[in-house]
Amino acid sequence: MTRPTSMKPAKMRSRLTQSSAVLALLSYALISGCSSGSRVAPLVATVNESASLSAASASALPANPLRWSIITSFIDPKNSTMSTLYGNDIAVQHARANSKHDYPPGSHIALVTWTRRDDPRYFGARIPDQIKSIEFVFVTELPGETKFRHEKFEGNPLAKTQSDESATPSPDAAALLNLRAAVLP
Amino acid sequence: MFRFLLRAVAIVALLFLALQLVRKPLPRPPVTADFQAPPEVKQILKKSCYGCHSNETKLAWFDLPVPAYWIVRDHVLEARARINFSEIGKLPAAQQRGALFECVMQVSRGAMPIPAYVSFHPEAKVSEQDLTVLKNYLSSISPAPPTTSDDTGAEQYQKWLATGNELSKPAAAPNGIAFPSDYKNWKPISSTDRFDNNTIRQILANDVAIKAIAENQINPWPDGATFAKIAWLAQTGSDGVIRPGPFFQVEFMIRDKQKYANTLGWGWARWRGAELKPYGKDANFVDECVGCHRPLSDTNYVFTEPIRGQQ
Repeated sequence: MTRPTSMKPAKMRSRLTQSSAVLALLSYALISGCSSGSRVAPLVATVNESASLSAASASALPANPLRWSIITSFIDPKNSTMSTLYGNDIAVQHARANSKHDYPPGSHIALVTWTRRDDPRYFGARIPDQIKSIEFVFVTELPGETKFRHEKFEGNPLAKTQSDESATPSPDAAALLNLRAAVLP
Repeated sequence: MFRFLLRAVAIVALLFLALQLVRKPLPRPPVTADFQAPPEVKQILKKSCYGCHSNETKLAWFDLPVPAYWIVRDHVLEARARINFSEIGKLPAAQQRGALFECVMQVSRGAMPIPAYVSFHPEAKVSEQDLTVLKNYLSSISPAPPTTSDDTGAEQYQKWLATGNELSKPAAAPNGIAFPSDYKNWKPISSTDRFDNNTIRQILANDVAIKAIAENQINPWPDGATFAKIAWLAQTGSDGVIRPGPFFQVEFMIRDKQKYANTLGWGWARWRGAELKPYGKDANFVDECVGCHRPLSDTNYVFTEPIRGQQ
């Protein structure tokens, strides 16, 4: 191959462009790549499927509390669970306006309890893992008579494990009714 | 032709030499409040973080020529402004701990040390073993929420009831985002037990976001999707149960990929305390939000893994 002593300007420009492109690519690879970025497994943008309500579980329930709004929540470290208390509109309105826990008829509240797991996206947080139980209290009114129906669902899929109804709340129902609304200014 | 090339090289060389004179100094202020930690933790931070995030910056020979020097100087000054281990000892312990938790997140996601930095400084790489040391240390210094028989949230709660749930009329955030006061009735999509800073959190989502979850269109999230993350100070009752104490803050992410193109396609805002004080001195407060969320590019910058089934 003979060394080109005089190159046409157009050809020369294209050579220059090519070589600078190669140089740019090389420095880019050196600066941005190779070593570290690939070390970390990518996160998957997924819903928290395990903590969601499965179709089988949902079909066993008298209502879907995930459609309601929040009243409050708590964490039980001894049982490694986290719970959220939901309420329908009547219940939420009442809980956010009264320190007494005398929910009016038509109030529906539900405590959803999850097991918890480490948050894969943030070390320092734990998030819901699987639904462990859902407990409902329905405040109903027959003519002249208020009743408190308490139902508990457990297992996977959820199945009814407890059900009672009385004119005064059972201790389990009272435990839910007495939870104070969390402040949402 | 040869002469032309020679002249070109000479001009470039001269230009390069001349540019070397264009350099602002990189100050090295005294170490006033160095980070205190066990030696095995300190050693990791020294090798992987102190190069930029301290006043003890040591530049390598290849950092010195311009333009590398300009880039390195900018990076170091920015890094120190975010977190400076030579001065962090001045901050309250909880804030120092919080900063270190964020460091672990940044390292876990491969965002820190910056990959380009590791290319030139391979010794700065944080190994899996190093990461475990940092995590174990953080777990060991994170106390459970204080056990109290006092109901620390009672007074705020009574006031909240008395004011019809409006403790204050909050001003807009410094970036102009108005307080979305209807957030209270959005649907919960997750909760978090934050043992790093002793808060209980709920994440609520507006209808656009709920629909996106139902249709599994969450990467990217559609314009209009909005999240509210509410934090309460956690308190442990005598029964060992951790309950929300006083309301601490509510923060929002508002998706609009065009309007908020400069901030990862999300609008950011936070209101703190019962008086709902807008967070941040000026509109630059979003740098903090963006800095922490940027490593989550795989999930459209969202930390929450949403629970499905609200529709």
